[in-house]
Amino acid sequence: MPFNSYPYFIFLAVAVLGYRLLESRAPAGRRVFLLLASYAFYAWWRADFLALLIGSTVINYMLGREIELRRTRHADRRLFLIGGLIFNLGLIAIFKYQALFVTTANTAFNIGLPVAEFFLPLAISFFTFEQISYLVDADSGKTRNYSLLDYSLFVAYFPHLIAGPIVRHNDLIPQFHAMRSAPGRDLAAGITLFTIGLAKKTLIADNLAPFADAIFNAAGRGAPLGLTDSWLGTLFFTFQIYFDFSAYSDMALGSAVMLGIRLPVNFLSPYKAASIIEFWRRWHISLSAFLRDYLYIPLGGNRGGAARRYLNLFITMLLGGLWHGANWTFMLWGGLHGLYLAINHAFRHVTKGMTVPPALRLPLHALSVLLTFAAISFAWIVFRAETLTSAGNVAAGLIGLGDSGVVSFSPLAAVALILLFGIVWFMPNSMEIMWRHGNPALPSPYENEPVKPARRLVWAPTRLQAFAYGILCIVAVLALSNLKPFIYFQF
Amino acid sequence: MEKNHYAFWFLGTVALGVAALIGFNWAAGAYILHHPSGASVQTLSGFERALKPVWITQIKPQLVFVGSSRVRDGFDPVLLDPALKLRSFNYGASSMTPYEARRFAQDTLAQPSVQQMVVSLDAFTGNGGPGEALPSFDETRLAVTPEGTPTPRRGLWLFTTRFLSGGALGMNALSAYALARLKQGESAADRPDIFNAYSHMSEAVMQRDLNYRRARTLTMGPGPARELTTLLASACHAKARLTLFFPPDHMAIQTRYRHGDAAGLDAFKQTVRGAVERHNARCPSPVALFDFLNENVLTTEGLRDGSSPNYVDLVHFRPPAGLWLLEQMRLTAKKVN
Repeated sequence: MPFNSYPYFIFLAVAVLGYRLLESRAPAGRRVFLLLASYAFYAWWRADFLALLIGSTVINYMLGREIELRRTRHADRRLFLIGGLIFNLGLIAIFKYQALFVTTANTAFNIGLPVAEFFLPLAISFFTFEQISYLVDADSGKTRNYSLLDYSLFVAYFPHLIAGPIVRHNDLIPQFHAMRSAPGRDLAAGITLFTIGLAKKTLIADNLAPFADAIFNAAGRGAPLGLTDSWLGTLFFTFQIYFDFSAYSDMALGSAVMLGIRLPVNFLSPYKAASIIEFWRRWHISLSAFLRDYLYIPLGGNRGGAARRYLNLFITMLLGGLWHGANWTFMLWGGLHGLYLAINHAFRHVTKGMTVPPALRLPLHALSVLLTFAAISFAWIVFRAETLTSAGNVAAGLIGLGDSGVVSFSPLAAVALILLFGIVWFMPNSMEIMWRHGNPALPSPYENEPVKPARRLVWAPTRLQAFAYGILCIVAVLALSNLKPFIYFQF
Repeated sequence: MEKNHYAFWFLGTVALGVAALIGFNWAAGAYILHHPSGASVQTLSGFERALKPVWITQIKPQLVFVGSSRVRDGFDPVLLDPALKLRSFNYGASSMTPYEARRFAQDTLAQPSVQQMVVSLDAFTGNGGPGEALPSFDETRLAVTPEGTPTPRRGLWLFTTRFLSGGALGMNALSAYALARLKQGESAADRPDIFNAYSHMSEAVMQRDLNYRRARTLTMGPGPARELTTLLASACHAKARLTLFFPPDHMAIQTRYRHGDAAGLDAFKQTVRGAVERHNARCPSPVALFDFLNENVLTTEGLRDGSSPNYVDLVHFRPPAGLWLLEQMRLTAKKVN
């Protein structure tokens, strides 16, 4: 059930109402209610895959409990941890990557292995990663004898189930037990954040999509893209995915806040980043943290010298790219970011100790933001294109090697781009807007680096703002389309 | 202010807004459907992609026209229905992509009331790829999925489109305003200032069009060809009869097509003829094909007293010309039953 759909609005209203009614009368029942609601949410898409979600949950729970028990008894638990990892990665490999690997092997070695056609279960990448983190944490002694109900709810909790944030068990499960005393405050903050997200999706991202799609489809058909098409296609998609994922994150957090749960901040003005390192601290923050904790550090992290560190970064980003989808374009996208990160770290190492004259700080910062944006936008070409040839076609168009005319650079396009740059570079983001309202509704993504509250456009629960956000909600609903799921839903 | 008061004011604003929206769309929809010239709004350009899938289910037409703005401008049910003695519906939309044309045609074939569908083939030209659509096209409103199975939860999507979509609000507002501007006894044909489909091409418009369409070609890429094949497959066992036609673009612009890519234009026609021949050889529901994209009495007409009797511009023919086309296709003589 997409967040940007009427059935979800009705579902969310019923879920919030039921949860709040049970909160005061049957605190234990509300977790059962939320779990059933989350399963209904998943089953709306395809009921048969609910069995996969439940089966995967139960098996991981049993493995995790066994690992916990063995840890307390100081018994060998490696078999269960390795078995769990194989089970989870095997599940993703079968459903998501089998066709890619077999097809590639068939092409590379000229063999005829059969390719099984599986329907990709929704959210499999997300719920599998979360369960891997649970197993690894159980092995490290970080889990706390959760009940099956709590664990199942942690995995299936609908605001984060489909496309994140990737939540840790110890962030979420304790909140299921904490009684929130301010449902009015939560509802106010939640509906506002949800509205901001809905507006970003329907008013901005969905209106950029047809143009980006038309240009990238033309590239996919082999049309040699002209300068205008390539630049506009790249920029339109760069902004489309920004507002699409930002919208999803706001709506996920907003839905959770209405239910008294705080999900971690997952998106924090990534295009304001002045370096690729900073970009990954602002874009899909929960995935970055997961890759750091469960891949980069186990690979050796920054231990073992600079060259090893860069290699670890590269491998982490390569696999992070492949996590997004079964296509070599995603892997190349991850590889590009791995390369960017390695260069960024090397540059920092070389320039360590240098000081910038105060007069040059602002221009240098602006130049860094621009350069980072350009590098990210270039990488999005590979991410969006369906084949490497198609990506090459768009990239070649950037330097004017083609002559297509899918779109023209109209004054409207110029105004749209100026507005989009203005929003992503100069406007406060939704986290900053919502940050202070009596009781912070959202946790900071960083322990030592809290989100700074906005100086303008700050949300306050006044009658005027209620009216203004109500109008924004209606306008966003008017632009709603049932056709345009979130980009991250496919991962 | 207490935060639960905030929620109250927010939800109150949304509820009032939604109620007003539903009320307006309901009232405007009823006004349009019951106005004597109501069906003429199908020739208006606006958010037609959003609302026409709803209108077709309400009107329950026997004859439907599918295509780009050529079709949208050229077939006015208010003019056609008395002549044909049936209910027709104009399913044309601006810059219709080949994918949209196929999907609207599939939707038409799935309507129980439809006995005849007329499709303009210019919608199947260009290089459009699979699935390409323009803003406000949302196929969850259509009766069938791209694979031809019934669209899940379509009743809900039609309801939300009809009452809660921006497309419906825009199209209803535009249509109701256009109808309200008609004086007692006036029809769309009397007010080309409101209903552009009835305006006449002038010398200035002709020159502007010749400049604008300077490098225009009319060819069919592999994507549009696939969409046409899919449409023909959908029509193979359909109850409704399918008529295809090459649109009567004015000779001045046909010359441009030939100058731009004569071989491409010929290949387009040949591809369609081949597809239709193959279809008719194997399908129980045959397809009729008419070619007006040639030198004929319509396409060679000149301006009379500085204006064209049958064209709005070089590619958009006026509704009287649409009626003439139907006569040539024998759809008026052989009444649809």
